[in-house]
Amino acid sequence: MGVAEPVTLGGALPLRRRAIPSLKVGRLEKIGLAVLALTTIGALAAPLLAPYAPTLPVSAGPLLKPSAAHLLGTDDLSRDIASRVLYGIRSSWFSAIAVIASGVLIGGLIGLVAGFKGGWVDTVLMRITDLFLALPGPILAIAIVASLGPSLPHTLLAVGVVWWPWYARIVRGEVRALMVRPHIDAARLARIGRMRLAFRHALPGALPAVLVTASLDVGNLVLTLAGLAFIGLGAPPPAPELGSMVAQGLPYFFGQPWVCLAPAVAIFVLAFAANLAGDGIRDLLRHT
Amino acid sequence: MSTAAEAIEAERAPAVRAPVLAIRDLAVTFPGAVKALRGVTLDIAPGEIVGLVGESGSGKSVLGLAALGLLPPAATITGSVLLDGRQMVGTSDEERRLARRRYAGAVFQDPMTSLNPTMKVGRQVAEAAGSTEAAIEALERARVPEPRRRAGQYPHELSGGLRQRVMIAMAIAGSPDLVVADEPTTALDVTVQAEILALLTTIRDETGSSILFVTHDLAVAAELADRIAVLYGGRLAEIGPAADVLHRPCHPYTVALMAARLRGDSPRATMLPTLEGEPPDPRALPPGCPFAPRCPLAEPACDAALPEPEAAPTHDGLVACLHAGESAGARLRVREAPSPRGDPEGAATLDVGVPLGQKRGPTGATPHPGPALLLTDITKAFGKGDRRRAVVDGLSLEVPAGGSLALVGESGCGKTTTLRMAVGLENPDGGEIHVGPGGSPQLVFQDAGASLTPWLTVGEMLEERLRTDGLDAPARRTRSVEVLQMVGLPADVATRRPRQLSGGQRQRVALARAVAVPPALLACDEPISALDVSLAATVLNLLMNLRAELGMAMLFVTHDLAAARFIGDRVAVMAGGRIIEEGPSEDILTNPQHPHTAALVGAIPRFEAHA
Repeated sequence: MGVAEPVTLGGALPLRRRAIPSLKVGRLEKIGLAVLALTTIGALAAPLLAPYAPTLPVSAGPLLKPSAAHLLGTDDLSRDIASRVLYGIRSSWFSAIAVIASGVLIGGLIGLVAGFKGGWVDTVLMRITDLFLALPGPILAIAIVASLGPSLPHTLLAVGVVWWPWYARIVRGEVRALMVRPHIDAARLARIGRMRLAFRHALPGALPAVLVTASLDVGNLVLTLAGLAFIGLGAPPPAPELGSMVAQGLPYFFGQPWVCLAPAVAIFVLAFAANLAGDGIRDLLRHT
Repeated sequence: MSTAAEAIEAERAPAVRAPVLAIRDLAVTFPGAVKALRGVTLDIAPGEIVGLVGESGSGKSVLGLAALGLLPPAATITGSVLLDGRQMVGTSDEERRLARRRYAGAVFQDPMTSLNPTMKVGRQVAEAAGSTEAAIEALERARVPEPRRRAGQYPHELSGGLRQRVMIAMAIAGSPDLVVADEPTTALDVTVQAEILALLTTIRDETGSSILFVTHDLAVAAELADRIAVLYGGRLAEIGPAADVLHRPCHPYTVALMAARLRGDSPRATMLPTLEGEPPDPRALPPGCPFAPRCPLAEPACDAALPEPEAAPTHDGLVACLHAGESAGARLRVREAPSPRGDPEGAATLDVGVPLGQKRGPTGATPHPGPALLLTDITKAFGKGDRRRAVVDGLSLEVPAGGSLALVGESGCGKTTTLRMAVGLENPDGGEIHVGPGGSPQLVFQDAGASLTPWLTVGEMLEERLRTDGLDAPARRTRSVEVLQMVGLPADVATRRPRQLSGGQRQRVALARAVAVPPALLACDEPISALDVSLAATVLNLLMNLRAELGMAMLFVTHDLAAARFIGDRVAVMAGGRIIEEGPSEDILTNPQHPHTAALVGAIPRFEAHA
């Protein structure tokens, strides 16, 4: 035998890089992206799309089967489930974005400083990050909700507190890897100021990794927040919250299954589409 | 397509000296219309060493992979490759694997990535050889000292040269008829390179294996090849006996490669002959001769159709050039000797015999008296505790204002660390660094592409550099265009990002940024070691011209003594963290004092075809 099977050819690299077939985004990922896009539009336009007010009872009555007037039926308090699900998606979606945005901002900044400065600054910041990482999210949520009272912002605060450290770690890792690359040395020699060096020569290199993580996190957060809402740690009733709607519909599961299944399916579709879309974004970034 | 009958036939009549490798009209296309090879025909006789020479993107590595049947499934392959009579095109993975296992061995550029880091080398060789004893024998044949002890070590415990010997042992373990060696010495120091080349020749002599030696360096091919095949744009430009191709080349490209090659005796006061332009993009090849856009002899007929290889007029080989019959080689070679300017036949010249800049030495700025760089007794160590190791150990050197010093040494001798300290990227543990007045020292990195920030445009990077010079925005813009012109780039390059540029353009951009604010000292870290021959000459010329124009001093780090002599007024040889010899560049090459220097001088490939 002459050849170790996985072959790396130094000389052929430039050619092979070009030769790699440009992997396009898969069909499933495309569907995910499309569903997510639709959901986003739906979430933004929920007030326009929803046929009824989400928190007010309709005259038709409670626990009605799905019909032309009420596409997903009505719940035990005679509210239109379709409208509530639509608003629920909107709230889940925005909540996820809010947590991710705060995570990217806080974590990104801390990670950038740690990775850029290195040395003891890095050590101190990363140990603080580890400290936050060690906090159990749901318990923290219970504690915060218990002390500050139940409300969506409180839940988001609790989740946000344990969410940013991931971003800090990712950005710090990427920036540290970038800092030893020749283009940073070259920029230093070009007498480029420290802020400019950090924000223009180092940070953009961490962006793809952050974007991929963030897009994959959407599904994660939808599930986490729905789970917290399910056990009563979300927005207090009568707010349309997918997790609490499932909990609320559970007693009617055998008689009127649509009451709890409609929001459950919405959670599933949202999380699944978000994960697929995340994969799609990762593929896109990797191959451009 | 070959049949099983053919294969049986080949096995039945071993007495007939059929070629070990028979390639017929091989064409390889990768997705994205990347035409790597376009109809190559090549035979390798038993026991023959064929040097396959080409610049990056010429398709040389693809040819090596095709010979081994290792092209990725995404590649579209037509034509035929017979390895010992076994068809390697269009046959199943299993058939190709068996043929490869039986008849072929391979050595690649970077043994570290080809060897399994978690396995002792003895076991890895044994996998190829069949038994531990056979593995030891293969290691012995590859001249691995103390083969038994080495067999018990992991790849990371071996030096680069030894790792390559282990790869060679693996390649020859099964007594293959053909060894494909793809740039096996490119990552090695010159002295180690010379040893490996000698080893490959010895192995051929001992075992009778044929060798397909793929390289970008004509001089390296000259060291061991019986025949040399020059590949350009996926086509054979010229093929013939090594001595003929080197000394009586027919194809203008071969002529140019020979001329552009830096030698130990290239005249220092004149520009190196260069080729205009860069190798063609395999995604967008011209319909006619791929070399026509750069060829000084090109005429409309050249662009019309691909020239087919025909019997070469000056040697016993083939050449694919419409002008071959008119002895194009001779017409070009006449002008290789420095001729007076204003030559009437100037149309067909390579860029030769033109004096560098206005004159050698500083002119643009009046240099201050005193050195541009003075290092006194510098020490620098890396690592912690027991592993702390001095990389630079009591080094002193001086670069006079406007002067140039070439720092030569093998990998690990501390030359790059010295350079980084000289420009201020690294602080010394001890000793003093004194930098002369003028712009802050700048560095041209070994990998120019990597020294550019990938997401910024060229204009943004240049203007950023000029910010520190206190220019306002419009002035910065004007100046950055000027700087681009200085390095021979059009103004519209400013709007592009590094990955939209070719390798040569990136090199120029990196240089442009380094000299945008003229530095008192320009340090260069192996700026040409990763470049194709024709590009390397262009960069050296550019560096010398810039130096003359801006009057800056230069500190040039290289492992290549020929380049050192060309660019340095003085040469300092470094080993073990200190300077072991220093003197005027001509003296170092002609009369080396230190044995280490002598070894480096001896290892310069010299174009003496051994055939």
